[in-house]
Amino acid sequence: MSLKSYSRARAVHVMLVYTGGCNGCDIEIVNSIFSPKYDAEQYKIFLTWNPREADVLVVTGPVTKHNEKPLKAIYDAIPEPKAVIAAGACALMGGVYKNIHGDIPSEEIAGPVDKIIPVAAKVPGCAVRPEDVLAGAVAALPLLLEAK
Amino acid sequence: MEASTIIYSTAAVIGTIIVAFIVSLWLPGIERKFVHARIQQRIGPPISSPGFMAPLKFFFKETITPNSPVPRLYNALPLVAILSIFFILLFLIPQMYFLGALASVIAIVGLLKVEEVIYVFMGSLSQSVMSLSMPFPDVVKGAKHQKVTRSFLENLSSLRAFRLIAFGSFPLYLAIFVPVAMAGSVFLGDIVSYQQIHGPILFTVAGAIGAIVFFMGYMILLNEYPFAILKTKADVIEGPYMEYAAKYRAYNYIARGFLMFALGALFSVLFLGIPPNLFSVGILVNIVVALLFPIFMAVMSAFSPIFTNKQFYPVVTGLSLLGVLAIIAAFI
Amino acid sequence: MDEDKKSSRPGVIETEITMGPVHSAAIEPYRVRLFVEDEIVKDAEITVGVNHRGIERIMEGLPVEKANSLTEKICGICSNSHIWNSVLVAEKGLGIEVPERAAYIRVIMEELERLHSHLLYLAHGNEVLGHETFAMRLFYIRETVMELLRMIGGNRVQYGVSIIGGVRPRCELDEMRIQKIIQGMDYLEEKIADFADRFVSDPMVISRITGTCPIPKKEALRLAVSGPTLRATGVELDLRRDMKEYDPFEFDVITQEGGDVKANLLMRVLESFESIKIIRQAIKDLPKGPITDRSWEMQDTDVIKSYIEVPRGRLYHSYRLEDGRVRGSIVRTPSMTNIGAMQYACIGHHITDAQLGIVQCDPCFTCTDRAIQIIKL
Repeated sequence: MSLKSYSRARAVHVMLVYTGGCNGCDIEIVNSIFSPKYDAEQYKIFLTWNPREADVLVVTGPVTKHNEKPLKAIYDAIPEPKAVIAAGACALMGGVYKNIHGDIPSEEIAGPVDKIIPVAAKVPGCAVRPEDVLAGAVAALPLLLEAK
Repeated sequence: MEASTIIYSTAAVIGTIIVAFIVSLWLPGIERKFVHARIQQRIGPPISSPGFMAPLKFFFKETITPNSPVPRLYNALPLVAILSIFFILLFLIPQMYFLGALASVIAIVGLLKVEEVIYVFMGSLSQSVMSLSMPFPDVVKGAKHQKVTRSFLENLSSLRAFRLIAFGSFPLYLAIFVPVAMAGSVFLGDIVSYQQIHGPILFTVAGAIGAIVFFMGYMILLNEYPFAILKTKADVIEGPYMEYAAKYRAYNYIARGFLMFALGALFSVLFLGIPPNLFSVGILVNIVVALLFPIFMAVMSAFSPIFTNKQFYPVVTGLSLLGVLAIIAAFI
Repeated sequence: MDEDKKSSRPGVIETEITMGPVHSAAIEPYRVRLFVEDEIVKDAEITVGVNHRGIERIMEGLPVEKANSLTEKICGICSNSHIWNSVLVAEKGLGIEVPERAAYIRVIMEELERLHSHLLYLAHGNEVLGHETFAMRLFYIRETVMELLRMIGGNRVQYGVSIIGGVRPRCELDEMRIQKIIQGMDYLEEKIADFADRFVSDPMVISRITGTCPIPKKEALRLAVSGPTLRATGVELDLRRDMKEYDPFEFDVITQEGGDVKANLLMRVLESFESIKIIRQAIKDLPKGPITDRSWEMQDTDVIKSYIEVPRGRLYHSYRLEDGRVRGSIVRTPSMTNIGAMQYACIGHHITDAQLGIVQCDPCFTCTDRAIQIIKL
């Protein structure tokens, strides 16, 4: 492993963006970072709230109309290399909010996430479990390590 | 001077600074892993991660132009900070005491001031996407106060940095002048030789009080938690550092670790009489002080909330009074 | 809301600071504009609607069972409350008598939810205070509640137990589960008490929270604040007193004076003990019998309304049934009424404290974001 990949694997800065889910995933992700039981820092994952510092963007929620532009702006602010993790059923496919009655799309939802920004890893679950979030962050790592 | 002396001195200076640099890279990790994580009953990151691997990683990231009215100046500021810390450390090394006025407490106070002024510039030059430029329909029909000037979050921290210059660093400077009062000289060489004759200043009454004040001043200057109003997560997110990315962010990380070591070295010069010199046993004392200070600081910060001005003013006033007391005690 | 006496002094506002929708102090997306003069907040404007998903629109015309489980997705923090209240609406309309055991299990679940919500509130409050250690300690304590919720409901979040006529068969409490709950309550009581002692004896924390962002009693009533935030101002108003599900249990309605951050935080700590008390009583007297009553017939109903007390205050659900389908659903969540208090509490305080003032009203904006219109009477 080159020094570049090694250093990238040893310090991963994660930023969270909530785009209008139900709070469930959001709190589980905060839990996975703040709770001493899961303690993301032991896996070298650090929480940040500044896009300029972040490597990995964790997105939850179905991306409502008002959140579409902020999400894009935050994604653009992250310097390369970067990876996006979509966490939770809503971020993956819009969840229960995407359609009203069969397949009539809801006009409130602009998502799911991969319609707006490229997604590297998808973490399923409603709500995601903290373990799965950490696994998702690890799954997105190769993309970061191999980037130039 | 003979050639060998010059080579010897140069080697000592360069060696000392390299050692300081290497030690300083591990300080944030030690703080995080051994103190914060232990107090919070979790495993915590590996000690190399926060201080060493994180800056290294940022060197390999894409360099972007920050959202700033003067991007080049903004990006140059951390280098200025590193440079000023480098000079502080340089003047502390005994081989440099021949520089006269530069190797004096006055020069060091000046350089520390540079460090503080930089925050003001950083804050006012940074225009992050996280506040005002976030694409959100703010000024719309029915919104309150539509004609008010609108400013970025970082301007707030710039304002706070400005206040900190005015009063926040008072305790540190008062503490620095305790040894000056005792030795009767502003020159570092005189202070060191005074202590070699009379024993370390730390073990006198004035020195002990001064050391406490110095420690608190150290925390204020490093913006560590209770005194982190400049970059608190509760409102300004990261404050002046918001727009640094890639290698410029790495410089910031390095500057912080380096400043921790430099202030530790300053303490051992002023209060223990042991200047950092690679070719003497004293460097070990320097390293121990440089390690102990962050550890004490981390213990303090793990147990305290953020201070707003309401708590900050009384604490600083109290510490300043203590500092004045120490100086008076030094004269007696 | 514009005519707050504290605000709208003309000509003193220097600048406007905007935060959100993504911000470190806010767990949820919302926008807040603070109008400041010399770091002191002179006026505040909170914009919700960022995560409006139109749940009621989706509920329209769904079979009532489906619509009930959809209400769970309104909020990830108080999911059980939503599904409970939504089921209560249907039960009221169809005249279903819930088996006693099911009613007890619902109360146990609701109180567990209150515990986890209050612990989350305290943890978030401490995070905004800048006290990472306390926040982590609380998240660790909260983990016990999450495990209990997962054990009963089958999921850590979205664990709602109610269905029309009782609770889901999965959520039956057997001997092992009862033992676990009893152990969990002992552990929680000890740990929360330890934490509370440590918390109130910390001079630095106390100096931050005492007298910060107070909401006077009169203002709280004028702004129609609900729930613990109202009780922290000294008004003894708890809907649990009027709910027939809570009749068998003996508990105190906690009130605090002042409505500042300290009163609010202590309020939640003390309410946690009451919740533990209720759960213990429910476990002790848990009646035998079935947990689901399936002998009901679907029929059309008028608009039915139901209010319950949830961790954040008063929750309102209403709809009418037509052919077994939901029509005209309305949901009003407690944070909706508390937004006024959040704006009020910020004013006149330092910006760092202002964030605390917003957090002290226990905002849950994902609940709140629905098509609303505020009418000033």
